[in-house]
Parts: sequence; C-alpha cells; structure tokens
Amino acid sequence: MKDLPQTVYVVDDDDAVRDSLRMLLKSAGVHAETCASAQEFLSSYDASQPGCLVLDVRMPGMSGLEMQHELNLRGVTMPVIFITGHGDIPMAVEAMQHGAFDFLQKPFRDQELLDRVQRALVRDAENRARLRHTDRIRERLASLSPREREVLELVTQGKANKMVAGDLGVSQRTVEIHRAHVMQKMEAGSLAELVRMMMAVAPSP
Amino acid sequence: MLRPEMAGSNDNGAGTNGDRESQRVRTIIVAGQSSDRTREVLRALSGFTNVIWPTSLESALAQTSSQDAGCLVIADDLREEPIDEFLQEARELQRNLPIFVITNPDDVAEAVSAMRHGATAVIEIPPSYAALCEEVSRAMQ
Repeated sequence: MKDLPQTVYVVDDDDAVRDSLRMLLKSAGVHAETCASAQEFLSSYDASQPGCLVLDVRMPGMSGLEMQHELNLRGVTMPVIFITGHGDIPMAVEAMQHGAFDFLQKPFRDQELLDRVQRALVRDAENRARLRHTDRIRERLASLSPREREVLELVTQGKANKMVAGDLGVSQRTVEIHRAHVMQKMEAGSLAELVRMMMAVAPSP
Repeated sequence: MLRPEMAGSNDNGAGTNGDRESQRVRTIIVAGQSSDRTREVLRALSGFTNVIWPTSLESALAQTSSQDAGCLVIADDLREEPIDEFLQEARELQRNLPIFVITNPDDVAEAVSAMRHGATAVIEIPPSYAALCEEVSRAMQ
C-alpha cells in the first residue's frame, strides 16, 4: 500500500504565525495545513492522514493542552510539537507527560522548528509502520482455529511438541500438524520470528 | 502525600521499620547534595522514608540496582553532568523507576530535554516541599 503524503497541521489562533509557519514549511518542501482553533482542527481531522501537529498552547476556547487531551482520548498518535510564547516548566512537563513530541518556546529559529518537524514526521512514519505491522499480525492471528491458537501460545512459551501434546491431551503428531499450520498462516519462518510477532501484539505492561 | 508512619529511617538510609515490619520501606535516592534550600526540602523527606545521598550520578545509578529504590531525585548541583545521557542509561537499566530532576527556574528547554530522555517530572528550584512530596508520594505508589 502506498503511503499518503505527510502533512504538517499548524493550529494557532494568530494569523501571522499561521502564515509564516505555512511559508516556512512550504519553503522546506513540507505540505502544511493551518487551522485557527482546536475546534476547527478536531472537526476536520482525518486520522488516516499521516503527519504531525504544530500546536499553540494558548488559544481562545480549547487550549493546546486541552486539545492534546482530546486527541489522547480519541487514540490519535500523531506527534505533537507545542509552541508557546508563555511557556513555563510545569506547562512543559505536563505536555511531555501527556505524550507531546516536543515543546518549543517562541521566539525560535526557523531551523529549530524544521528540525523538530522532520523528526516528528519520521516518528509518525515509524508509528504507522509499526501499527500496520501489528495489524497484519492480528489479522493472521484471527485466521487461526481455536486449537491452532492454543498450540501457538504453548510453543511460544518455549514448550516442545511433546509437552504441548501432553498439555492439550492430543498426540504429538497432531501437534506437529497444527504447528505447521500455525507457521504457515502466521507467515513465520522460524519459532523466533513467531515469538517476536507475539511480543509485538502483546499488551504493554 | 507521604505519611510519617510509612517508614522509620534516617538520613543515611539505615532506616528500620520498627513495629511496622510488614510495611515495605522504599528508598529515595538523591543524587547530589544540592543548594541549601533544595537540600532542606529533600532532607525533610527523610522523615518519611529512607533517603540516601550518593554524590555522583554513577554512584546513584549503581544504588538504583542494589537498593529497594522507590525513586531517584537528581538534585540541581549535578546539572553540569551529562544528565540526558544519564537519564537514557538509567531508563535502559531501570525502566519503571520514577526519576525526578530538579532544575533551574524557567529553563524550559532543559526541562523538555530531561523529559524526552526519560525523566518522570522536572521540578524547579527552589522546590516546594509540598510539590516534591506529592510527586515522590505518587511515584512510590
């Protein structure tokens, strides 16, 4: 599947800031879209669109930090770079604790922002690639029969076929057949690869 | 907030649990001695739980493995040391250990960098006892 082009969304209530950032990003060959408020962004945002967000902290209505909270509630993982002219440590810490990618104080050098945007775009691409990878693994897992799933769980715990057979009360030959099906359906070339797949979809501790 | 009955202890970390042996006392590791005001606030924490004071980041890192570390506080007199590298290393060794960095007021860039490298929170000089106690208390839970 071909990746969609990345977009940098600039959300800032200041017209001059929006225009200057759009021009700056355009000059660096980065596609940018701007919104004057958090509400405007939230009502038009398409989660399938890759990119990152440059977000002002202080805006009338919903603030940048409130918008970040809303994005977290919606499960949006797009990297957020906060920009502010009135930042302090507690504000920066709060933003970072809630998953901000970066926090930049105005005035900043153009290159500073461009560097951070580039890093955020790389992070977003990595996140999306990881997500596609785990989605594919989950699809393959869903194609397993209940018995194959049991065999998968036991072999990825390091149990030999004989032990799996004992645990499930079936013959060793039956386990071998199920195991072969598991490897085929999961498109795994080795047990190690199968274990890595299971770790990739395991819930975080 | 931390409560005095959570622990019996002293500044050297040789705390005893007295009649509350079943209650687990965890250790706060404070790297560096810090400025007077910060030291005063950090020392006040020793009334609540074990506090030990390694004088370098390396030593603090070693203590996180050997002690029953509840959290690590990096005091402001260690700001000349490569904190970001240290944080990264500490995170690799102790993934879930809460790490607090006490930093210069208004140095937002430094605070952001510390957070990016694994700090749990950054607290400005002079730290307030209430703020630090609340953060540490939350971390110990």
